[in-house]
Amino acid sequence: MLNINYPKIENKEYPNLKLNLVEPIHKLNLRGKNRDFFTKAGRILSIMLPTEPNTSATIKSISALWLSPDEWIVYGKDIDKNLILSLESEISKSNLGSVTDVSDQWVLINMKGKNVFEVLSKGSPFDFNKFKDTKNVVVQTLLNHVDVILHHNDANNVDLFVRKSFSEHLWLWINDSSSFL
Amino acid sequence: MFIINCPFCGERDQSEFSAGGEAHIVRPKQPTELTDDEWADFLFMRKNIKGIQFERWNHSHGCRKWFNVIRDTSNDKIHAVYKMGEKPPSN
Repeated sequence: MLNINYPKIENKEYPNLKLNLVEPIHKLNLRGKNRDFFTKAGRILSIMLPTEPNTSATIKSISALWLSPDEWIVYGKDIDKNLILSLESEISKSNLGSVTDVSDQWVLINMKGKNVFEVLSKGSPFDFNKFKDTKNVVVQTLLNHVDVILHHNDANNVDLFVRKSFSEHLWLWINDSSSFL
Repeated sequence: MFIINCPFCGERDQSEFSAGGEAHIVRPKQPTELTDDEWADFLFMRKNIKGIQFERWNHSHGCRKWFNVIRDTSNDKIHAVYKMGEKPPSN
Protein backbone atom coordinates (compact mmCIF):
# COMPACT_ATOMS: atom_id res chain seq x y z
CA MET A 1 0.00 0.00 0.00
CA LEU A 2 1.08 3.57 -0.62
CA ASN A 3 2.81 5.21 2.28
CA ILE A 4 1.74 8.81 1.87
CA ASN A 5 0.38 11.29 4.36
CA TYR A 6 -2.89 11.81 2.57
CA PRO A 7 -5.65 12.25 3.51
CA LYS A 8 -4.98 14.31 6.63
CA ILE A 9 -7.71 12.88 8.81
CA GLU A 10 -7.69 12.90 12.58
CA ASN A 11 -10.26 10.99 14.60
CA LYS A 12 -13.05 13.21 15.88
CA GLU A 13 -15.88 13.00 18.35
CA TYR A 14 -19.22 14.83 18.28
CA PRO A 15 -22.41 14.36 20.31
CA ASN A 16 -23.40 10.71 19.74
CA LEU A 17 -20.99 10.40 16.83
CA LYS A 18 -17.43 9.10 16.56
CA LEU A 19 -15.47 9.43 13.34
CA ASN A 20 -12.41 7.26 12.83
CA LEU A 21 -10.05 6.71 9.95
CA VAL A 22 -9.62 2.94 9.50
CA GLU A 23 -6.37 2.84 7.60
CA PRO A 24 -4.29 1.04 6.47
CA ILE A 25 -6.61 -1.80 5.58
CA HIS A 26 -6.63 -4.07 2.54
CA LYS A 27 -9.53 -3.73 0.09
CA LEU A 28 -10.04 -5.95 -2.92
CA ASN A 29 -12.38 -5.62 -5.84
CA LEU A 30 -13.61 -8.98 -7.14
CA ARG A 31 -15.45 -9.46 -10.41
CA GLY A 32 -16.78 -12.69 -11.83
CA LYS A 33 -19.91 -14.53 -12.87
CA ASN A 34 -19.49 -18.26 -13.16
CA ARG A 35 -19.84 -20.97 -10.54
CA ASP A 36 -16.10 -21.73 -10.43
CA PHE A 37 -15.40 -18.11 -9.55
CA PHE A 38 -17.81 -18.25 -6.59
CA THR A 39 -16.37 -21.57 -5.41
CA LYS A 40 -12.75 -20.43 -5.59
CA ALA A 41 -13.42 -17.03 -3.99
CA GLY A 42 -15.50 -18.66 -1.25
CA ARG A 43 -12.86 -21.26 -0.49
CA ILE A 44 -9.94 -18.82 -0.34
CA LEU A 45 -11.76 -16.13 1.66
CA SER A 46 -13.79 -18.60 3.76
CA ILE A 47 -16.80 -16.47 2.95
CA MET A 48 -19.61 -16.80 0.41
CA LEU A 49 -19.90 -13.71 -1.75
CA PRO A 50 -23.41 -12.31 -1.21
CA THR A 51 -25.66 -12.57 -4.27
CA GLU A 52 -28.61 -10.69 -2.82
CA PRO A 53 -28.52 -7.00 -3.84
CA ASN A 54 -27.37 -4.43 -1.25
CA THR A 55 -26.21 -7.00 1.29
CA SER A 56 -22.92 -8.05 2.83
CA ALA A 57 -21.38 -11.11 4.44
CA THR A 58 -18.92 -10.97 7.31
CA ILE A 59 -16.87 -13.74 8.85
CA LYS A 60 -14.28 -12.89 11.50
CA SER A 61 -12.86 -9.59 10.31
CA ILE A 62 -13.37 -10.06 6.56
CA SER A 63 -16.43 -8.50 4.94
CA ALA A 64 -17.66 -8.95 1.37
CA LEU A 65 -19.97 -6.23 0.08
CA TRP A 66 -22.31 -6.62 -2.91
CA LEU A 67 -21.70 -3.85 -5.44
CA SER A 68 -23.45 -5.21 -8.52
CA PRO A 69 -24.48 -8.67 -9.79
CA ASP A 70 -20.89 -9.47 -10.74
CA GLU A 71 -18.85 -7.20 -8.49
CA TRP A 72 -17.88 -7.20 -4.81
CA ILE A 73 -15.53 -5.32 -2.54
CA VAL A 74 -13.80 -7.39 0.12
CA TYR A 75 -12.04 -5.74 3.04
CA GLY A 76 -10.79 -6.54 6.49
CA LYS A 77 -7.83 -6.72 8.81
CA ASP A 78 -7.35 -10.44 8.15
CA ILE A 79 -6.54 -9.88 4.49
CA ASP A 80 -2.82 -10.24 3.95
CA LYS A 81 -0.46 -10.51 1.00
CA ASN A 82 -0.66 -14.31 0.89
CA LEU A 83 -4.44 -14.20 0.60
CA ILE A 84 -4.24 -11.63 -2.19
CA LEU A 85 -1.62 -13.70 -4.01
CA SER A 86 -3.72 -16.86 -3.83
CA LEU A 87 -6.81 -14.96 -5.06
CA GLU A 88 -4.81 -13.53 -7.95
CA SER A 89 -3.25 -16.85 -8.91
CA GLU A 90 -6.46 -18.89 -8.69
CA ILE A 91 -8.94 -16.36 -10.07
CA SER A 92 -7.18 -13.73 -12.18
CA LYS A 93 -4.53 -15.93 -13.76
CA SER A 94 -6.99 -18.70 -14.56
CA ASN A 95 -9.39 -16.18 -16.13
CA LEU A 96 -12.27 -17.02 -13.80
CA GLY A 97 -12.70 -13.37 -12.95
CA SER A 98 -10.69 -10.38 -11.84
CA VAL A 99 -9.05 -9.47 -8.56
CA THR A 100 -7.88 -5.89 -8.11
CA ASP A 101 -6.18 -4.47 -5.05
CA VAL A 102 -8.04 -1.19 -4.46
CA SER A 103 -6.53 -0.49 -1.03
CA ASP A 104 -5.10 2.81 -2.24
CA GLN A 105 -8.14 3.79 -4.29
CA TRP A 106 -10.59 3.83 -1.38
CA VAL A 107 -10.30 5.37 2.08
CA LEU A 108 -12.28 3.76 4.88
CA ILE A 109 -13.89 5.95 7.51
CA ASN A 110 -15.88 4.47 10.37
CA MET A 111 -18.86 6.40 11.72
CA LYS A 112 -20.37 5.25 14.98
CA GLY A 113 -23.15 6.59 17.17
CA LYS A 114 -26.82 7.46 17.27
CA ASN A 115 -26.35 10.47 15.01
CA VAL A 116 -24.73 8.61 12.09
CA PHE A 117 -27.81 8.70 9.91
CA GLU A 118 -28.63 12.28 10.91
CA VAL A 119 -25.35 13.34 9.29
CA LEU A 120 -25.62 11.05 6.27
CA SER A 121 -29.18 12.18 5.55
CA LYS A 122 -28.03 15.78 5.31
CA GLY A 123 -26.11 15.20 2.10
CA SER A 124 -27.45 12.07 0.45
CA PRO A 125 -30.42 11.45 -1.85
CA PHE A 126 -30.74 7.92 -0.43
CA ASP A 127 -33.65 7.07 1.89
CA PHE A 128 -32.04 5.68 5.05
CA ASN A 129 -35.32 4.73 6.79
CA LYS A 130 -35.09 0.98 6.13
CA PHE A 131 -31.30 0.96 5.89
CA LYS A 132 -30.74 2.22 9.43
CA ASP A 133 -32.89 -0.56 10.92
CA THR A 134 -31.10 -3.36 9.04
CA LYS A 135 -27.67 -4.79 9.71
CA ASN A 136 -25.25 -6.06 7.06
CA VAL A 137 -26.65 -3.91 4.29
CA VAL A 138 -24.73 -1.95 1.70
CA VAL A 139 -25.52 1.02 -0.47
CA GLN A 140 -23.60 2.85 -3.14
CA THR A 141 -24.84 6.39 -3.30
CA LEU A 142 -23.83 10.04 -3.18
CA LEU A 143 -22.83 12.01 -0.13
CA ASN A 144 -22.35 15.71 -0.72
CA HIS A 145 -22.15 14.84 -4.47
CA VAL A 146 -19.28 12.40 -3.83
CA ASP A 147 -19.55 8.67 -4.63
CA VAL A 148 -19.52 6.58 -1.47
CA ILE A 149 -20.09 2.98 -0.42
CA LEU A 150 -21.83 2.63 2.93
CA HIS A 151 -21.74 -0.60 4.92
CA HIS A 152 -24.07 -0.75 7.90
CA ASN A 153 -22.28 -3.52 9.77
CA ASP A 154 -23.74 -3.07 13.23
CA ALA A 155 -26.37 -0.92 14.93
CA ASN A 156 -25.47 2.73 14.26
CA ASN A 157 -22.06 1.66 12.98
CA VAL A 158 -21.28 2.48 9.37
CA ASP A 159 -18.13 1.91 7.34
CA LEU A 160 -17.89 4.60 4.68
CA PHE A 161 -15.69 4.11 1.61
CA VAL A 162 -14.72 7.18 -0.36
CA ARG A 163 -12.24 7.56 -3.19
CA LYS A 164 -8.91 8.82 -1.88
CA SER A 165 -8.86 12.01 -3.94
CA PHE A 166 -12.27 13.03 -2.58
CA SER A 167 -11.66 11.84 0.98
CA GLU A 168 -10.29 15.01 2.54
CA HIS A 169 -13.04 17.13 1.01
CA LEU A 170 -15.74 14.72 2.22
CA TRP A 171 -14.09 14.48 5.63
CA LEU A 172 -14.27 18.27 6.01
CA TRP A 173 -17.93 18.20 4.94
CA ILE A 174 -18.76 15.42 7.42
CA ASN A 175 -17.07 17.38 10.21
CA ASP A 176 -18.85 20.56 9.25
CA SER A 177 -22.22 18.79 9.20
CA SER A 178 -21.50 17.02 12.48
CA SER A 179 -20.68 20.28 14.19
CA PHE A 180 -24.36 21.28 13.84
CA LEU A 181 -25.69 18.20 15.66
CA MET B 1 -36.70 14.97 -9.67
CA PHE B 2 -38.09 11.48 -9.69
CA ILE B 3 -37.39 7.98 -8.40
CA ILE B 4 -36.06 5.25 -10.69
CA ASN B 5 -36.40 1.59 -9.77
CA CYS B 6 -32.99 0.19 -10.73
CA PRO B 7 -33.52 -3.47 -11.73
CA PHE B 8 -30.42 -4.39 -9.72
CA CYS B 9 -30.41 -2.10 -6.65
CA GLY B 10 -34.02 -1.03 -6.17
CA GLU B 11 -35.56 2.42 -5.89
CA ARG B 12 -33.12 5.32 -5.99
CA ASP B 13 -33.18 9.03 -6.60
CA GLN B 14 -32.74 10.24 -10.17
CA SER B 15 -29.53 12.08 -9.20
CA GLU B 16 -27.77 8.71 -8.94
CA PHE B 17 -28.46 7.95 -12.61
CA SER B 18 -27.28 9.16 -16.01
CA ALA B 19 -29.55 9.27 -19.02
CA GLY B 20 -28.24 7.39 -22.06
CA GLY B 21 -30.67 8.52 -24.75
CA GLU B 22 -33.19 6.63 -26.81
CA ALA B 23 -33.20 2.84 -26.54
CA HIS B 24 -33.44 0.08 -29.14
CA ILE B 25 -31.61 1.88 -31.94
CA VAL B 26 -30.12 -0.87 -34.07
CA ARG B 27 -26.69 -0.31 -35.59
CA PRO B 28 -26.76 -0.90 -39.35
CA LYS B 29 -25.16 -4.22 -40.33
CA GLN B 30 -23.22 -2.73 -43.23
CA PRO B 31 -22.38 0.91 -42.34
CA THR B 32 -20.14 1.27 -45.40
CA GLU B 33 -23.11 0.72 -47.69
CA LEU B 34 -25.11 3.60 -46.20
CA THR B 35 -25.35 7.06 -47.69
CA ASP B 36 -24.13 10.00 -45.63
CA ASP B 37 -27.72 10.95 -44.89
CA GLU B 38 -28.61 7.44 -43.68
CA TRP B 39 -25.49 7.31 -41.49
CA ALA B 40 -26.22 10.76 -40.02
CA ASP B 41 -29.79 9.62 -39.42
CA PHE B 42 -28.52 6.62 -37.42
CA LEU B 43 -25.99 8.67 -35.47
CA PHE B 44 -27.87 11.84 -34.65
CA MET B 45 -31.59 11.73 -35.33
CA ARG B 46 -33.74 10.81 -32.33
CA LYS B 47 -37.52 10.77 -31.87
CA ASN B 48 -37.50 13.06 -28.80
CA ILE B 49 -41.18 12.45 -28.19
CA LYS B 50 -43.35 14.39 -25.80
CA GLY B 51 -44.98 11.35 -24.25
CA ILE B 52 -43.97 7.74 -23.74
CA GLN B 53 -40.38 7.11 -24.77
CA PHE B 54 -38.05 4.10 -24.54
CA GLU B 55 -34.76 5.17 -22.98
CA ARG B 56 -31.46 3.80 -21.74
CA TRP B 57 -30.29 4.76 -18.27
CA ASN B 58 -27.13 4.02 -16.32
CA HIS B 59 -26.97 3.72 -12.53
CA SER B 60 -23.71 5.67 -12.62
CA HIS B 61 -23.44 6.37 -8.88
CA GLY B 62 -24.64 2.90 -7.86
CA CYS B 63 -24.13 -0.47 -9.53
CA ARG B 64 -22.99 1.17 -12.82
CA LYS B 65 -25.25 -1.13 -14.86
CA TRP B 66 -27.19 -0.07 -17.95
CA PHE B 67 -30.89 -0.80 -18.27
CA ASN B 68 -33.99 0.35 -20.17
CA VAL B 69 -36.76 2.60 -18.95
CA ILE B 70 -40.15 3.42 -20.44
CA ARG B 71 -40.78 7.00 -19.36
CA ASP B 72 -43.42 9.58 -20.12
CA THR B 73 -41.33 12.63 -20.93
CA SER B 74 -44.23 14.99 -20.33
CA ASN B 75 -44.58 14.16 -16.63
CA ASP B 76 -41.57 11.92 -15.83
CA LYS B 77 -43.84 9.02 -14.91
CA ILE B 78 -41.96 5.74 -15.31
CA HIS B 79 -44.11 2.97 -16.77
CA ALA B 80 -41.59 0.13 -16.77
CA VAL B 81 -37.95 -0.74 -16.16
CA TYR B 82 -36.25 -3.75 -17.74
CA LYS B 83 -32.75 -5.09 -18.14
CA MET B 84 -30.60 -4.85 -21.24
CA GLY B 85 -31.32 -7.71 -23.63
CA GLU B 86 -34.85 -8.17 -22.31
CA LYS B 87 -37.89 -7.37 -24.41
CA PRO B 88 -40.00 -4.38 -23.35
CA PRO B 89 -43.09 -5.31 -21.32
CA SER B 90 -46.10 -5.54 -23.63
CA ASN B 91 -48.44 -3.42 -21.48
